[in-house]
Amino acid sequence: MKKIVIALAILLLFTAPWIVSSPFFIHLMIMVLMWTVLGASWNILGGFTGQVSFGHATFLGAGAYTTMILYLKLGIAPWYGIPIGGLVAALIALPIGFICFRLRGPYFALSTLAVAEIIRLVALNWESFTNGPVGLLITTLPDVTFWGRSIDWENKIPFYYIIAVIALGAIVATYIMSRTRLGAYSLAIREDIDSAEAIGINTVQARVAALSLSAFFAGVAGGFYAMYLRYIDPDAVFSIALSVEMVFIAVVGGLTTVAGPLIGAIVLVTFGETFRQIFLVGHLIFYGLMMMIVIRYLPEGIWGKLRLWFGN
Amino acid sequence: METFVQSIVSGILTGSLYAMIGVGLTVIFGVMRIINMAHGDMVMFGMYGAFLSITFLKIDPFLSIILWIPIAFLIGVLIYRFLLKNIVPAGELNTLLYTAGLSLFIANLVLLIATGDYRTIKLKYAVIPLRPFGISVPIPLAIAFGMAILITIALYWFLVRTDTGRAIRATSQEPEAAALMGVNVDRMAIITFALGTALACGAGVLLAPSLYLYPTVGEILVAKCFVIVVLGGLGSVPGAIAGGLLLGVVESLGAVYVSVPYKDAIGFVIFLLVLLFRPSGLFGVGKS
Repeated sequence: MKKIVIALAILLLFTAPWIVSSPFFIHLMIMVLMWTVLGASWNILGGFTGQVSFGHATFLGAGAYTTMILYLKLGIAPWYGIPIGGLVAALIALPIGFICFRLRGPYFALSTLAVAEIIRLVALNWESFTNGPVGLLITTLPDVTFWGRSIDWENKIPFYYIIAVIALGAIVATYIMSRTRLGAYSLAIREDIDSAEAIGINTVQARVAALSLSAFFAGVAGGFYAMYLRYIDPDAVFSIALSVEMVFIAVVGGLTTVAGPLIGAIVLVTFGETFRQIFLVGHLIFYGLMMMIVIRYLPEGIWGKLRLWFGN
Repeated sequence: METFVQSIVSGILTGSLYAMIGVGLTVIFGVMRIINMAHGDMVMFGMYGAFLSITFLKIDPFLSIILWIPIAFLIGVLIYRFLLKNIVPAGELNTLLYTAGLSLFIANLVLLIATGDYRTIKLKYAVIPLRPFGISVPIPLAIAFGMAILITIALYWFLVRTDTGRAIRATSQEPEAAALMGVNVDRMAIITFALGTALACGAGVLLAPSLYLYPTVGEILVAKCFVIVVLGGLGSVPGAIAGGLLLGVVESLGAVYVSVPYKDAIGFVIFLLVLLFRPSGLFGVGKS
């Protein structure tokens, strides 16, 4: 039964652009999937390891800038730039992890916020490298032929398939991680870090590994963001608001669940983007409201609650 | 030398307001162990309050503080009673996430009502700065400084001299022992949260004539506020005052001697260093 549902979901994922073709809807689905990747990224650290980060925009920004700079300065196409961006984000995560994981709980959260703000200010002021507040812009993407047909980058559908593959990858990676030693270590750390330490888990190493994996996906999503929107600036990709949005997607969907970020992204992004179409500003009002409702009444998140119901 | 004195003076003027915001956050943390992410939005609320007063009621923003502090106190009571009370027992991380949600909600509500436009308050008497001893002192900041000092002294007197103040400090030190001594811990929590909110809002009213107003200003203010309270030691009122003044001076010296764009980063770097090497704050009085 479970396998059939998963197979149907994957089938639906790859046939959706044929079923509905309205550009707004495809844009919406691209946004939902991009936020699924970001939510999944945050969930790997915040859900499984229980380390609340308010600075994940750092990794998104690192991925976005890597992809953009590689393309603009060295001519490396974004589809190579996106995974490289993920790797750069994962590398940046190492020193950040070794510094910030000396702190626990809310103090860790505040330290990631501070690191993210420092990096945003650096990106804003290191003009020779990042072009500062003006941002970076790509006008055309290189030609690619896929099965003998040249891809039309003005159409949204190729982007849909790229992000669909990335999102599937992020969800599969979460599933695999939950089954491995790292997943078990993470849960032990989340439940009681001192006991985890006492039974011989190197908690700093395990947390840094989780952070690095998490940063990889945030970086990949950042690279995709740069390629899809074709414009980035420090306030767009390094802002506190972005970090907070990732937290919300993961928490509202359901922490420590494999499908939670997808559900969180479907609920929040659909409402948010629709709201934005109508009112133009203030689309995050719904994020705040949902967060408060979820923490108060559904601490296991929407998907966590649904899973409990189905389980019974 | 003159630039040095000048930047110390402007640092202290801004720092006094930082201190006022920081004191609000730190008393809330001390009594309830809440890291209130929505604290910056209370400052934003005060700033818009001052703006409304001068635009619609034609009341001077500095006078309007008499109106806004009680309103903010009441809002604090309501927020605590109806939103936070049931969350606090769920732990520090849940309250952190919950208040982050609250913060996003408030900021976006204001964004919907007031739009994202940058607004300023222009005061007739604020055009020419005072020049005592050749140092330039903007009048609105000087008035705000004076009022911030008065309010902080009043708060200090309240915490040290009154029974309620003593009960609040007792709860902050050891909630269980305080409860055993007959202190109504829950009532202290309401009063403290409302007091913290009123302080943040009051600081917002005082800051409004010197800053740009926009709905998401709370985001950056709350980040600075964490720097201040961690510098001084979380939960410590004198620590927050010292931390606020210190951050003000560091920022203004940094802007002159390091670089203007990086002045905000200096605060965060110090913040990280203090968190890592002196988690109980520079003066070793905070709770970690």
